[in-house]
Amino acid sequence: MIRFKGVEKTFGGTPPVHALKGIDLEIPAGKIFGIIGQSGAGKSTLLRCINMLERPSGGEVWVDDLLMNDLTPSQLRQERKKMGMIFQHFNLLNSRTVFGNVAFPLEIIKTGKYKIRERVLSLLDLVGLADKIHAYPSQLSGGQKQRVGIARALATKPRLLLCDEATSALDPETTKSVLQLLQKINQTLNLTIVLITHEMPVIQEICDYVAVLEDGALQEVGPVIDVFTRPRTPSTQRMLQGFFAPRIPSQLRNSKNTLLRLTFVDQKAHEPIISKMIRHYDIDANILFGRIDQMKTTPFGLLLMELSGSQPQIEKSINFLKENLVEVEVLS
Amino acid sequence: MLWQATLETLTMVGISTAVAALCGLPLGICLTITDKHHILEQPYLNKLLGSIVNIGRSVPFIILMVAIIPFTRRIAGTSIGTTAAIVPLTVAAIPFVARLVETAMKEIDPGVIEAAESMGASPPEIISKILIPEALPSLILALTLTAVNLIGYSAMAGAIGGGGLGDLAIRFGYQRFRADIMLQTVIILVVLVQGIQMLGDKIAQRLYNR
Repeated sequence: MIRFKGVEKTFGGTPPVHALKGIDLEIPAGKIFGIIGQSGAGKSTLLRCINMLERPSGGEVWVDDLLMNDLTPSQLRQERKKMGMIFQHFNLLNSRTVFGNVAFPLEIIKTGKYKIRERVLSLLDLVGLADKIHAYPSQLSGGQKQRVGIARALATKPRLLLCDEATSALDPETTKSVLQLLQKINQTLNLTIVLITHEMPVIQEICDYVAVLEDGALQEVGPVIDVFTRPRTPSTQRMLQGFFAPRIPSQLRNSKNTLLRLTFVDQKAHEPIISKMIRHYDIDANILFGRIDQMKTTPFGLLLMELSGSQPQIEKSINFLKENLVEVEVLS
Repeated sequence: MLWQATLETLTMVGISTAVAALCGLPLGICLTITDKHHILEQPYLNKLLGSIVNIGRSVPFIILMVAIIPFTRRIAGTSIGTTAAIVPLTVAAIPFVARLVETAMKEIDPGVIEAAESMGASPPEIISKILIPEALPSLILALTLTAVNLIGYSAMAGAIGGGGLGDLAIRFGYQRFRADIMLQTVIILVVLVQGIQMLGDKIAQRLYNR
């Protein structure tokens, strides 16, 4: 659906800022694709290269076999009409009511008055704001404004929705409901969603795929469950550190023991693997931390555990765990 | 006499405000959209327009009025009287309006313009559907400020026989020591300014409140 080929972006200035460094990335159709990174990592620039709000300094951006770099301004406007975009600060028109805001993109594509009315009403139903139709943005809460933003972005029936930190200005409760709405429209409308965020829970909650961006360079891409449970690069590991496992107070740690982090994915989360291991080998296990959660719809478990015993026995236990398809990471 | 002068002032201010708005709005929009990072970035054109506007704004009105007498004669057919005064008043107000329009439009959140661009809106659509409606309350206040300023300037127009309240105040109130006429004209001017400002505030407030 979307393909980045060696995309570069440099912002002029002294010194020039190298915002994107040779990005190669493919975003599949119909999925929710998350791009995560610290602020200043280049996420926003990368997202804006899709609809050319930001022109890459080098490389190619393809959307559905169309090279976006080469479009004329009017062709580009035609393509943008097939994409929706929502923003961190909603960017609604203060001079228009909720109705007028959602009608705006329909006016741009020259939809008839009667049709606009029909479409706006059904969109406001979809986002649950039918009763606010005549309200002005200043009379709405943050969550409601973002719902208007989503309705507006969906008005022209786009095949692609770009989300620029769409939940970063919202409280956790509202974030959850907006994410659920995004997931609902992804499923019911078969819409491709590309979202950028600096919040891990957003990725965990709704994304199918994730790309990790640091300092303008792509660190890691893959299904969320893979990247989150088996982070390969130091920057991803750093990002995930606080998210998954707590810091263990040093008084509780016995330096003679081996500290393991175990990750169970999917069905593995149900099996009594640990008790089997203790029965088979001559070791003791001390569980320091445990958590069961889910990634979008995949259940996974996480365990921090200390093993004590003879070195050969510990090695055998670790092998046993690995054979049982548990991700094992020896922390010390 | 007082009534006649009030009508003349209203005519001068009304027509010159209207024409200045008509010319100043497009000029202000050009200043806005050709600026850096705006929808039709044109650095050289922007600098050129900016310089012209600055020159227009830095010439003192009384000098401008005299300097453009040939131009005034060509437009109004005469260089004295109320009709003739309208020309320099308008010329002085156009760059003023243009800057106010620019300021009003720069207050619009760039994110809103970006959102419109992301929907495929063309520059004319962005101007007519975003810039003007979003800046409307500020534009109304800009127009109010222009009208109030022009009332002040119109008094100077008396120097070229422009008529109006200011002219009356100078010729009768000052030169013939008629303190009563002086007082009356000043009261009428105060009432006019108050009225225009209140009307402008009210309209702008109503637009803000929605």
